[in-house]
Amino acid sequence: MSDLKITNLHKHYGAFHAVKGIDLDVPSGEFTVLVGPSGCGKSTLLRTIAGLEEASSGTVEIGGEDVTWARPRDRNIAMVFQNYALYPYLNVKDNIAFGLRSRKVPEAEVEKRVSRAAEMLGIGHLLKRFPRELSGGQRQRVAIGRAIVRDAILYLFDEPLSNLDAQLRDDMRVEIKRLHQELGRTMVYVTHDQIEAMTLADRIVLLRDGLIEQQGAPLDLFERPKTRFVAGFLGSPKMNFIPATTTETGVALSDGTRLDVPGRSGLKAGQAVVLGLRPQYIAMAGQSLAPGHARVPVTIELVQPTGSRVQATMPLGGATIIAELAAHDVSRPGERTEIDIDMTRAVIIDPQNEQVI
Amino acid sequence: MPAIAAHHQPDRNFKYWIIAPAVFLLLLIGLFPLIYSLVVSFMRIDMMDTDTSFAGLYNYKQLFKDSRLWWSLAHTLLITVIALPLELVLGLAMAYLFLEKLPSRQIFISLLVLPTIISPIVAGATWRLLFDNKYGPINQIISWIAGQRVDALWTINPSLVYPAIIFCEIWQWTPFMFLILLAALSNVDKSQTEAAEIDGASFIRTFRYVVLPAIWPVMAIAILIRGLDLFRIFDIIWALTQGGPGTKTETISIYAYVQGFKQFETSYTAAIAFLVIFLLTVVCTWAIRRMGLVK
Repeated sequence: MSDLKITNLHKHYGAFHAVKGIDLDVPSGEFTVLVGPSGCGKSTLLRTIAGLEEASSGTVEIGGEDVTWARPRDRNIAMVFQNYALYPYLNVKDNIAFGLRSRKVPEAEVEKRVSRAAEMLGIGHLLKRFPRELSGGQRQRVAIGRAIVRDAILYLFDEPLSNLDAQLRDDMRVEIKRLHQELGRTMVYVTHDQIEAMTLADRIVLLRDGLIEQQGAPLDLFERPKTRFVAGFLGSPKMNFIPATTTETGVALSDGTRLDVPGRSGLKAGQAVVLGLRPQYIAMAGQSLAPGHARVPVTIELVQPTGSRVQATMPLGGATIIAELAAHDVSRPGERTEIDIDMTRAVIIDPQNEQVI
Repeated sequence: MPAIAAHHQPDRNFKYWIIAPAVFLLLLIGLFPLIYSLVVSFMRIDMMDTDTSFAGLYNYKQLFKDSRLWWSLAHTLLITVIALPLELVLGLAMAYLFLEKLPSRQIFISLLVLPTIISPIVAGATWRLLFDNKYGPINQIISWIAGQRVDALWTINPSLVYPAIIFCEIWQWTPFMFLILLAALSNVDKSQTEAAEIDGASFIRTFRYVVLPAIWPVMAIAILIRGLDLFRIFDIIWALTQGGPGTKTETISIYAYVQGFKQFETSYTAAIAFLVIFLLTVVCTWAIRRMGLVK
């Protein structure tokens, strides 16, 4: 059964068309991440699901019930806001209990549920404090507590980690993932951070200009992007794009380098394309050539160590590409060397319509 | 070292010399009249007699025997107690209404604020014309609705005169409450009210726990300002009824005016003024503490 079903949803703000016809089906218990660049309509979509924005057309069903015109309070949802939105004049306990008390849950039950949620989030010792006395991470925990204490069908997260510093963000990401595993509830999570999307999601819904560009399991989108946009959006460092021309067995770069793409023998030769190579699938030339790999001579221009790995910048076929190499592989910039490219993972894009061929 | 020698030590008292003229002026027009009227209130000055001798507490003792004074205080309180909550509730309701992004919202707000811009004495005079029992449009409109001639004496009939005064007062000053509360409401964090909405809180509950605490400091000051204004109410009533019929709508300000500038009981009026200062100081201090404006 699906807990959330959206059909042909549109949202206009005056002349601005923010959401342009979205269909979405979120099965029970799934963690769905809506991701995309600023202005892609992901927050608007979430707010429309919550009922904080009115749909211009289309329907929203939650738990099998059409709630397109229902008030937020009648939708049986809980939500975590980007800026936490804690009630500043209530202490932590009253903040978490607010929704339960609003719904006239008996006080004994409120006590039980609040202390359980607080315990899960490790904020049991903070219950008497006021939001202004808490750190950013603690406030975020309270905001999450306020959501999970409720017995909602759908839990919505609107960029909950974007106000936290990097270290805390990593910790809270783990926390949220753990919560989802423990609670098994249906969650819809909005973020612009592709790493959050990749790590948290059962399914990623990648939005662009108010439309779904592609949706599926994180690895599916990572390995088999349907468009150049998806290929470029997911992954860090970003995918390398090199202009190329098709040959019978693969592609040729502008400097004459010919690269065979396994399983792509049927290509029409002489067509202008863009070759997409992930930095992760480029390695220093090894002893023997693995099947499907291409060996190319390069000059390393720039080296950015990230600890265990190194991001090496080098020119290839008229473009500048980044390869993520093992730290001990690279000695210094200016080094002439050879790299092995895993061509089985290569993506070929039609530059006309930006679709992956 | 000439460069350093040329550099004068700044006079540490210079700043006091700069503000001295302003302080002097303030003392002259503020503190001096206050002290002088305090002195006058212990004397026997009036315009009917040349005797200006020291009277001790005589004038203050007279206050307690003066039933017209206490009635005027009661009238003032009556108007304040009725008009203030009405202005507050109406202003709040209007502010909530205009919180939504309505088309031509700015124009409507400007129009609504017009009454507050008008001088109270002009507003009172205008309402006196509107309330006129023969030629005023108010009686005409009521006549149309009632289907028979209505000849209500709005500024004379003892049971109609208070509604008329309070109506004018609310008409003129609700926009003030409205403006201040609109500003306060617009500053309430929208995501907090949205969170309350999702939490399933009723309007009352959201107002009580989320909105009211956020707007309270501003609201308290608006209540205080309007409360003090209402306690000193003069212009509108003077224009409408001059405190009549008889002394039926005489407020403390009107009574002080009559004593001072019609009866020319100068010393006694000074004593009334000090009674008012005393009462307002007590009420204000209590209110400021009670409202939690000073921590």
